[in-house]
Amino acid sequence: MFPLLSAVLATLLVGTALTFLAGKNARWVALATSLAFLAEVAYLLASYPGWPGYSAGLIPGFADQESYAWIHLGWLQVNYTVGVDGISLVLILLTAILQVATVIYSWNETRRPGAWFGLVMLTCLGCLGVFIALDILLFFLFWEAVLVPMFFLIGYWGGPRRRYAAVKFFVYTHVASIVMLVGLLALVFYSGATSFDFASVYAAGRGLMTVTQTFLFLALFFGFGVKFPIVPFHTWLPDAHVEAPTGGSVLLAGLLLKLGGYGLIRWAVFVLPSGFHESQPILFTIAFVTIVWGSIVSLAQRDLKRMVAFSSINHMGIVLLAIALGSSLGLLAAVLLMFAHGIVSALLFMVSGSVHHTYGTRDIPSLGGITPSTPVLATMVMVGSLASLGLPWLISFPAEFTALLATWDGLAYWVLIPLGILVVTAGFYIWMMQRMLFGPPRGIPVGVHDLPWYESAAMSLLVVFTILFGILPFLLVNLIVSSPIRGFPGT
Amino acid sequence: MDASSFIGPFVPELLLLGAVLLVFLFDVLGIRRNEGLSTIAVAATSLALLSVLGDLGFAPLGVFATLPPALLDAAPTGAPLYAFTSLGLIFQAIFLLSALLVCLASASRPSNEKGAPIFYGLLLLATLGMLLVAVATDLIFLLLAIEVTSISTYLLVAYHRRESRSLEAAMKFFIIGALSTVLSFYGASLLFGAYDSTNLFAIGRATSTVGFPVLVLLGYGFLIAGLAFKVTLVPFHAWAVDVYDGAPSDVSAFLAGGTKKIGLFAFFLVFLGPILYIKAIGAGESPFQGGALDLGPVLTLTLAVLAVITMTVGNLLALLQKEMKRMLAYSSISQAGYMLIGVTIGTAPAITGATMQIFAHVLMKGGAFLVVAGVAALGIGPLIDDWKGLGTRRPLLGAAFALMLLSLAGVPLTVGFVSKFVLFSSAVQAQGYFVWLAVAGLLNSALSVFYYARVLKVIFFDAAPTVPVAPTAPPPAEALPAGGLGYGRAVTIGLIAVLIVAFGVYPQPVLGAIQAAAQHFITVGA
Repeated sequence: MFPLLSAVLATLLVGTALTFLAGKNARWVALATSLAFLAEVAYLLASYPGWPGYSAGLIPGFADQESYAWIHLGWLQVNYTVGVDGISLVLILLTAILQVATVIYSWNETRRPGAWFGLVMLTCLGCLGVFIALDILLFFLFWEAVLVPMFFLIGYWGGPRRRYAAVKFFVYTHVASIVMLVGLLALVFYSGATSFDFASVYAAGRGLMTVTQTFLFLALFFGFGVKFPIVPFHTWLPDAHVEAPTGGSVLLAGLLLKLGGYGLIRWAVFVLPSGFHESQPILFTIAFVTIVWGSIVSLAQRDLKRMVAFSSINHMGIVLLAIALGSSLGLLAAVLLMFAHGIVSALLFMVSGSVHHTYGTRDIPSLGGITPSTPVLATMVMVGSLASLGLPWLISFPAEFTALLATWDGLAYWVLIPLGILVVTAGFYIWMMQRMLFGPPRGIPVGVHDLPWYESAAMSLLVVFTILFGILPFLLVNLIVSSPIRGFPGT
Repeated sequence: MDASSFIGPFVPELLLLGAVLLVFLFDVLGIRRNEGLSTIAVAATSLALLSVLGDLGFAPLGVFATLPPALLDAAPTGAPLYAFTSLGLIFQAIFLLSALLVCLASASRPSNEKGAPIFYGLLLLATLGMLLVAVATDLIFLLLAIEVTSISTYLLVAYHRRESRSLEAAMKFFIIGALSTVLSFYGASLLFGAYDSTNLFAIGRATSTVGFPVLVLLGYGFLIAGLAFKVTLVPFHAWAVDVYDGAPSDVSAFLAGGTKKIGLFAFFLVFLGPILYIKAIGAGESPFQGGALDLGPVLTLTLAVLAVITMTVGNLLALLQKEMKRMLAYSSISQAGYMLIGVTIGTAPAITGATMQIFAHVLMKGGAFLVVAGVAALGIGPLIDDWKGLGTRRPLLGAAFALMLLSLAGVPLTVGFVSKFVLFSSAVQAQGYFVWLAVAGLLNSALSVFYYARVLKVIFFDAAPTVPVAPTAPPPAEALPAGGLGYGRAVTIGLIAVLIVAFGVYPQPVLGAIQAAAQHFITVGA
């Protein structure tokens, strides 16, 4: 069988290396690589045999599997094992879309374009690796490898407090990863798993005692949760987002936050089912606090980008809630939400970036009535906000609807909390639009131009997907429910 | 024993000895140009390295093999002075690699620098001592070999005779070193009193029947203290920072990357016997059960405590440093703590992990000190803040240094990650309270990220203080390492960077060899 996933990785790897070397022509190399990547992902999707109910191969239910020995020492068996199921395919598609969009959006990057585009692609490469890894160490390798390019993206191209934000981001997430690594090692060696492969860990992990499972689950959850980010470990996010360059924020919100959710689903919830059940009350509490906190704090923000950043925390809280429900419907909702939030938050961060360099400020109260002077930008603000607050026919609606349904299913009247918070979310987006887009013009410099072509092209691409999957959500749903681990134990 | 069977095994040592004599001969003849001497040193160390690798059985290097295969990992007969274990040979290879890198980098020293013959001669002599440590099986032989290295390095530190800082460092190094030697020999003499032998095999076998607990405990205590000075374990570390800081950076690279590892191998030799014996009768028992003294748990616990204290204190102090070299020195101390974990656990996996960590450390820390030497040659000051903007002015040098720091911090796809991963995995695999060693090590890794990230921030994100921020006037040294850095250093630093990634991506050959050697080492017995 043709090693398709390795070929995709190799495409990105070679493309990234060439981009670093290409200097002024980096953007063309980056664009070509990203389009090739997107085409390969399209082929992956088209050839995915599990629509639904697929089971064959090394690990049942995973398509396009490859496995090669990497470190074999007898007591330590680490392989390069990759494979995809529906859940990872959805997130890989997200990676490809966001990479293309980010490359197009930053078409005019003039500060060291070779390094900029190279690091952007390296980040996406790491995320792709996380989504395809079926070996727990390989997963960790890619997970950590994402940190380094993002550190440089924030620290070199970022805003005024970029140095502080970059170091904080690096240290926070690295410390969390270390705790996760302790959990991973303990999981492998205490469960008696024969190798670090998913199949072996999956089979061995559920055999552990409930107490052990709970401790391991919490260690893993801490690592994943900081990426989410969960309150109270979220403080790196507003700093990183606000100081990151627009492309960096897009990748941070669109992809990096999804790593936490994906990791929790793939490597914790299903591998340690009893631990998960024991920890459910903790997860619910954290999820509700994160939802409420993210939303309330957004309401108080004056800075558009900061507002979007806090609303990301709120959305990821809903993802955590959906996962914590421990039902098939909740899992479906979580993955849909991650995809939707990936596209929509990317759009919103692009919008805030564009507002910033069109008007020189992101301060909401000091802007007003920008629609007549920059109609395209204003449209994008509107589409992004409406999508984020969950308007039907746009991508977030099916996702949030499923999440609420699953919550009602699992927790009955507790659904009023996320439902009520949705109203608050709608409130701060509409209030923002009312102040910024409409009313008498305020803070508009003379000779202001609407978006350059590349920025509108990038945003349009995202808008297309927002509408496409808003109308045809079953395209994603079918993929997700085809995944082998769709059924929760005990449901 | 005929001549060939004596010469064969010692070809690497004889090569180095020959090079030492040649270098000093050239000195007498008045041929003192740096280029020529560094060529001799590079040739000798690389030939010796090839020979050791050939002996180890790396297939393509078979032609360089000189050791009769029957001698490798042979079961000991009687009480030999030396024996050839494959783990010892791997350590020889690591020592030679560190010497080779330093010699290669030293090709960029000023060609008419005074005292070049002394530098290379002493460097090779120190390496010779290290090679002997790796084959020792007798306490006295071991300590004498360590002395050969130590005395050479005292002089190396003082190599810049007119610089008071170097002299002060050398003086301190000498006094502390002499003290540690005295302690080690005193410990050895007590052990001789208790066991009636200085042979490590004999001591290892006899440990089960401890005749004089006080003598033995005191003997091991003094020996630990003496060796701990060499390995820079806390609280015996205080000299290391001043010495690494005061010594010329090339020499610091050799000290931190190379010579301190002899102490670790000595730890392997001296302590694995007693510790392994306890493994055989079952771990986790109380050391003082039934009134009799069980030596293993006491030693394990002592070493475990030393390991944790060393890594923690090293890291905490590294956080406070303002000078690059001092930060690297403290980080080097903390790394010694990680390596000691391997000795403490004493299983084949743990020894594999520790050896890999030692190998990784040669590359990362040796490389980092060589970068410091190069940066100093570029006229940049010793403070971390002086390095501002290095990454933008010299992207390649900055990237290589970043790679070394990331590797030290244990970021994946670098050799530093692989080694830490194997080491901490072995601790978790050993279970029992060793898991806490892994936890302590990982928490320390997390701690160390603070100071590495800070350095990365300074060299990449902070604007250079002297150069104007405006991109109109790029600094004149546009052409990369030609000017101040020199080809030797540039090539070495590039080579190290490549090796760090190569062994980070594909560590299996090295790890496999080390694991096999470690397995032999603990079955044959030290």
